[in-house]
Amino acid sequence: MSKLSILVKQLYKEKVKGKSFILMTLLYIAVITVVMFWSDIKALFVNEEALQIALVNETPVELEPIFASNDDITFSYPTESKESLYEQLKDEKLDAVIIVSEENKRLKAEIATYTPLKLNDQSTISSLIQYAGSIYGIQQLNLTAEEAEKILNSEPIITTTNINEQTGDTKSEDQKQSGMWVSYGAGIVIYFFVMTFLSIITTDVASEKGSRALEMLLVSVKPGTHFQSKIIGTMLVALTQFGVIFGFLFVLLRFTDGGSKWKMVESVLSDISYSYVFYVIAFLFLTIVLYLIIGALFGSLVSKVEEASQVMTPAIMITLIGFYVMISGVANPDTLLIKVFSYIPLTSGMVMPMRIGATDISTVEPIISLVLLIVTCVAAYILSLSFYKRSVLTYSTGGIIEKIKTVLKVTT
Amino acid sequence: MTLALKHVVKKYKDFTAVNDLNFTIDKGEIFGLIGQNGAGKTTTFRMILDLQEQTEGSITWDGSPIKKINRDWLGYLPEERGIFPQMKVEDQLIFFGKLRGMNGNELKKEIDFWINRFELEEKRHDKAETLSKGNQQKVQLIASFIHKPKFLILDEPFSGLDPVNRDLLKNAILLLKEKGVTILFSSHQMDNVEELCDHLCILKRGVSLFSGSLLDLKKQYGKTKLSIRTTVPKSELEKMAGVKEVKVMRDEYVLTLMNESFAKPIFELISNGQYIEKFSLDYLSLDEIFKDKVGGNDE
Repeated sequence: MSKLSILVKQLYKEKVKGKSFILMTLLYIAVITVVMFWSDIKALFVNEEALQIALVNETPVELEPIFASNDDITFSYPTESKESLYEQLKDEKLDAVIIVSEENKRLKAEIATYTPLKLNDQSTISSLIQYAGSIYGIQQLNLTAEEAEKILNSEPIITTTNINEQTGDTKSEDQKQSGMWVSYGAGIVIYFFVMTFLSIITTDVASEKGSRALEMLLVSVKPGTHFQSKIIGTMLVALTQFGVIFGFLFVLLRFTDGGSKWKMVESVLSDISYSYVFYVIAFLFLTIVLYLIIGALFGSLVSKVEEASQVMTPAIMITLIGFYVMISGVANPDTLLIKVFSYIPLTSGMVMPMRIGATDISTVEPIISLVLLIVTCVAAYILSLSFYKRSVLTYSTGGIIEKIKTVLKVTT
Repeated sequence: MTLALKHVVKKYKDFTAVNDLNFTIDKGEIFGLIGQNGAGKTTTFRMILDLQEQTEGSITWDGSPIKKINRDWLGYLPEERGIFPQMKVEDQLIFFGKLRGMNGNELKKEIDFWINRFELEEKRHDKAETLSKGNQQKVQLIASFIHKPKFLILDEPFSGLDPVNRDLLKNAILLLKEKGVTILFSSHQMDNVEELCDHLCILKRGVSLFSGSLLDLKKQYGKTKLSIRTTVPKSELEKMAGVKEVKVMRDEYVLTLMNESFAKPIFELISNGQYIEKFSLDYLSLDEIFKDKVGGNDE
């Protein structure tokens, strides 16, 4: 077994068996479970009874099929007087009374409550009234039921053609929405993995350096091999956590609710091209590698593990900026800010997949961004390796700039 | 000749850490590198181990540049103690052994032998962080030579050890010497150096003040340490010719002479009608020579 594989194996075993890795993985799994089963969990704690709504129909329109009862709202159609119904409102036997009437050939709905309705319930009732209003409007035209249904269900055919050959194929809204969700997911994955594993690699190198175990290791292992082992080992740990979490997520999606959630995922994925999947994976992988290289270098700069967080701060700030730029892109992915950050190697992994998925970007732009990221990774690796060899046995105090100066001073 | 340092210089911009250092170590020899803190010992070790590059000069092993030798032949115990705190003692030794090319039964045999020798059997499956400082040091020490190196560097191996464990370590070093391991070590405890080393080098601010055999060093000073147990008062002893200094050590006087030739006249003077219970002429201890050479305390 080569020295590199011995070091990688040791790091991998130590981290994967470590309490922090297990707890962090379980935490992610717990969060995913809570998100997936939020409505069920909420139901356990919030025992909500269905709203009781009385509907008084003063029009010839048949409202029962429109205002159908469900788990949240029970509609009743009493024949009692308004006053009696309002009394029931006061007695909290009813939550709302809706009186539907005609006015100037339009449907009119008066909603009376004693306790104001929640926003969700208001929205649901409003949309049902809107629909009833449409039906009423159609009925005023004396159309047949088939004709009315045709009008209600008719959807325009929208095709988009971009005559600029420099840009790629124009995406449909569905494709853009799917791309947005996937890139948003990829961005979150990058953010969390960078936050977790940047810290792991930096503190690991710092702790070996601080404990002087590194000096013993470097007698038999070249600094370059040690550097590589940290990056490969931490990457494998990250992929393991990635595999466990996504494996669990897949099982949840596939086998709960009769696979209905998985069908939603499939529908999102069906709108996504293979090239987009390639870009997402490539950006995700390279961004994590880049941050691991930086993390290992930062770890080699500090003299003891307590200083690790100090040197990590700039990288964490950049990740945060990238993350917030990506979040801003959810509202509008076509801004100049998004465009600029989609080329910066430390943030492009979070931002460029959003542009590829959710905008009509030319095919050249992602390639340029990816090439920039690859070149940065290679350059960062070469520079970090050279610097790592010199910094890993240099002990100094002060801030990060001070530490770099000391390394340069004592090794050149 | 095994290890040879010739005109080795290490400069950091305007600061010279090691200046024109020369010494050789033969196979199976124990060599001491002594000096105050900041004398350049650790820098010298790091240059020998190729952890730092010398600015000038050459470091060779059997005539070849040290850089070219198999790294697994080397063993190193750094000055500051440190092992993987979360790793169990046995796992730690397996890891370091495997890293230096050992495997299977041979590694297990070595681990069993040294764990037993250093009385760590009960701690074998304990995490390193749960051990006392002394036991951690023993584990780190075993890790430094578990792979049977040809050349072993021990930077302050005795610091922090109690007298019992110090003896265990001394015996281990002597056993390694018997097995043909060449050992270079530094220590602030001169009695250990005196006991173990055949040859030594004294460093002061990166400059070698002496390099050679311990006996040659002592001979440079001659037998100038005179211990006397007598009824002659101190004031009279101080007046005698050739006496540099008189110290009272419990019930005897320790005189430092200018040179060995003054001993005989002193004996003749004080034996004249006085009772002499002890009259012993010795070489200075290494500790005394060291203090004289580097000037002041070791710390």
